[in-house]
Amino acid sequence: MIRVEQRLEPNLAWTSGAFAVAIIAGLVVSGLLVAASGADVFKAFGALFEGAFGSFRAITASLVKATPLILTGLATVVAFRAQVWNIGQEGQLYAGAMAAYLGSLILAGLPSFFQIVGIVLFGVAGGALLGGLAAILKTRFRVSEIISTVMLNYLVVYLLSYLLAGGPWTEVGETVSYHQSPPIPEAAHLPLLVSGMKLHIGFLFAILVAIACYILLEKTPLGFEIRALGFNPAALRSRGTNVSRTILLVMAISGGIAAVAGLSELFGVGHRLRSDYLFGLGYTGIIIGMIGGLRPGGTVLAGIFFGGLESGALYMKILSGVPASLVPAIEGIILLFVLMAGVISRFRLVIPRSADNDP
Amino acid sequence: MTELLRVENLTKRFARVVANDRITFAVAAGEIHCLFGENGAGKSTLSACIYGYHQPDSGRILYRGKEVQLASPSDAIRIGIGMVHQHFVLVEAFTVLENIIVGTQESGLRLRDQEARKKIRDICNSYEIDLNLDAYIWELAVGQQQWVEILKALYLGAELLILDEPTAVLTPQESDRLFRIIRQMCAQHLSVILISHKLNEILQSDRVTVLRKGQVVGTMTTADTTPEALTTMMVGREVDLSIDKPERPPGRPVLEVKGIGAIGEWGERVLEDVSFSVAEHEILGLAGVAGNGQKQLFEVLMGLRPASEGEILLKEERMTNLTPRMALDRGVGYIPDDRFREGLVSDFSVAENLILGWQYSADYRRGPFLDGERIKRLAEQQIDRFQIATPSPDVATNTLSGGNAQRIILAREFLHANCLILANQPTRGLDVGVIEYVYENLLQKRDEGFAIVLASEELEDLFNLSDRIAVFFKGRIMAILDPKTASIEQVGLLMAGHEGGVDVAGP
Repeated sequence: MIRVEQRLEPNLAWTSGAFAVAIIAGLVVSGLLVAASGADVFKAFGALFEGAFGSFRAITASLVKATPLILTGLATVVAFRAQVWNIGQEGQLYAGAMAAYLGSLILAGLPSFFQIVGIVLFGVAGGALLGGLAAILKTRFRVSEIISTVMLNYLVVYLLSYLLAGGPWTEVGETVSYHQSPPIPEAAHLPLLVSGMKLHIGFLFAILVAIACYILLEKTPLGFEIRALGFNPAALRSRGTNVSRTILLVMAISGGIAAVAGLSELFGVGHRLRSDYLFGLGYTGIIIGMIGGLRPGGTVLAGIFFGGLESGALYMKILSGVPASLVPAIEGIILLFVLMAGVISRFRLVIPRSADNDP
Repeated sequence: MTELLRVENLTKRFARVVANDRITFAVAAGEIHCLFGENGAGKSTLSACIYGYHQPDSGRILYRGKEVQLASPSDAIRIGIGMVHQHFVLVEAFTVLENIIVGTQESGLRLRDQEARKKIRDICNSYEIDLNLDAYIWELAVGQQQWVEILKALYLGAELLILDEPTAVLTPQESDRLFRIIRQMCAQHLSVILISHKLNEILQSDRVTVLRKGQVVGTMTTADTTPEALTTMMVGREVDLSIDKPERPPGRPVLEVKGIGAIGEWGERVLEDVSFSVAEHEILGLAGVAGNGQKQLFEVLMGLRPASEGEILLKEERMTNLTPRMALDRGVGYIPDDRFREGLVSDFSVAENLILGWQYSADYRRGPFLDGERIKRLAEQQIDRFQIATPSPDVATNTLSGGNAQRIILAREFLHANCLILANQPTRGLDVGVIEYVYENLLQKRDEGFAIVLASEELEDLFNLSDRIAVFFKGRIMAILDPKTASIEQVGLLMAGHEGGVDVAGP
């Protein structure tokens, strides 16, 4: 009889095999969904790939889409590795965009370089403060961070609605007003990485933050404490670490990273503050971080993969008539399979030889 | 004597580990049969197979001469096998009666407890067990809770009772009583399998089966053997547990505790007016049944639990608002009783655990980063010095045995501490060989001038190692005794809360 046993150590071939099978299975099931919508599956997936990675232009567009996802994914990695369940990437991303926008209003008129540095600092501070607030609620008042971060998401998103719908940041037109801010002056735009393409230095930020996360988690004393906090907070405390302080740092760092996603979307893509294009990037980041195995490198790959899906969705819709709204469903299906692969990779199948049964 | 249970060629594997290797032994009706062996020798796996928790990979179990297949504990209970676990499975908010009959009745709206009450009374009367059936579990002492577990098994009709380390939580007097009653039970048709690694318990049995590394070394009639012979069989070599402790005059006081009190999780007082001092070259032993405030004392001394009153002086410096960081920085080493919960991060590598608590120390950093090279060098050195059996410093700690995990903690604490070692049950669950090693190391630290506070359930060891023994009962120190003049019986009485004519050996 075949037995299932827990693995003592991970096996690279088995693990990568499990993940490959998961992605394929996810695509097959997604294919059924596409077929159910009445489209030609191969044509649809072909268009999806073409739109995602089919040309240099398509690749840069995918990387633009991937940028905020990688960042909110990394925000998830830092928090979840500590088993601090920050679900507030959404709110922290909005807070980052809003604080950075505030910064751009204050710093308007300075040389472009200083404006951009200032914008980044403002934005990161905004996200870090919001994250830190949830940490303080957790450590001082024992409010579950899951509850507080989700609630703060609403708070921040509706605060932005107020500011843009008749509040002080609303653009006042000649006859009507829109739910958006006035455009951001060009001096405060994030510079492009490739001229003529939309790819801006936000992508560079994402890669740098990923490298920084790796170094933080694997090479620094703080990262050592973050990982220990995730595995065994009681031992960490009894070995002399102020656990409340570590939780505060984790939430501030996580919030700060999510904020970079918000400010890079605002100053690199949207160029005016509006709530629609920021919507959902934080929640998707949780999925990206999980699919990336809560590792910075994996998160970058997962972010690029999902960025490609998002970017190719429009192309798929135009070429094969599949509704673009199927893409979030595909993302969810792939997440489920990848999570299963994560579990499977910790086990192994044992086929006992008959000789084993002889006494 | 007729044979009640027979195990033939039983083999049980877990992954790559063979926990039981062709085990054969038999239990006669009416006997106390002891399974004796170190941790990891396969005692628990064997009993789990007999109780239906695990199914053997091969081999047979015969009960009353017939082969049985036990797919679950309920199969075992049906044929008359009962088990009392080391950790009790009782509902605190239920009464004794309710705990015994829970799960035994057909579903319905009313508990038919009158018959049950009568049946349990009869059992109690025939064995002279004195227990109030309407008391709530939380009102009972630990020793009484054990009787509830035993009654539960008897109520279900057990003829063969498996007792897993039954005296770990008892005072010497309570364990004497337990064995007196067990003997009486055996006189009236009950058989007992006693799992233990304590010699004084094993000597109470009729026959002993010694296990080593999953195999039966031999079965012997207890009366025909000696403790030394049994230990040698169990370990596979001769062990010297007699401790040679040179006399050393104590030096300057290292730790002084004055009138400490503390509050527990539910607002109850867990420590009351605790005062003592420990000096250089001195081991203070803490005796007491588990749960009488020893753990809380260690927590207060490490800054993990605030003291509600009193003061702590470390090398004459007053420690107010003590935190674990302060204690570690001042050279205090801590060996907690639950090594995997408090002492180690089991998913971390051996090397990472060896610096846990010292990750910010300049010794292990290069600038803002951890110095991987230096940490690895240190780890290799400590692995070598403390004979930690691991393939490499990078292996996850949860793949190592309890003994090796404890060696990691010893290696870390002995490396970083410089004046005081707080050791709470440092030998719990360890093999004889490792216990020997832990004691040797503690004595060596005493020679080097450390002060040591050592709590242990093994009273004999405490007598051999300590320069003074403080006895705990309900959060108080009942007395501080000189082990050279005190007796184990005296300590046992104090552990149970009886004050007595006791020589007090200075605070």
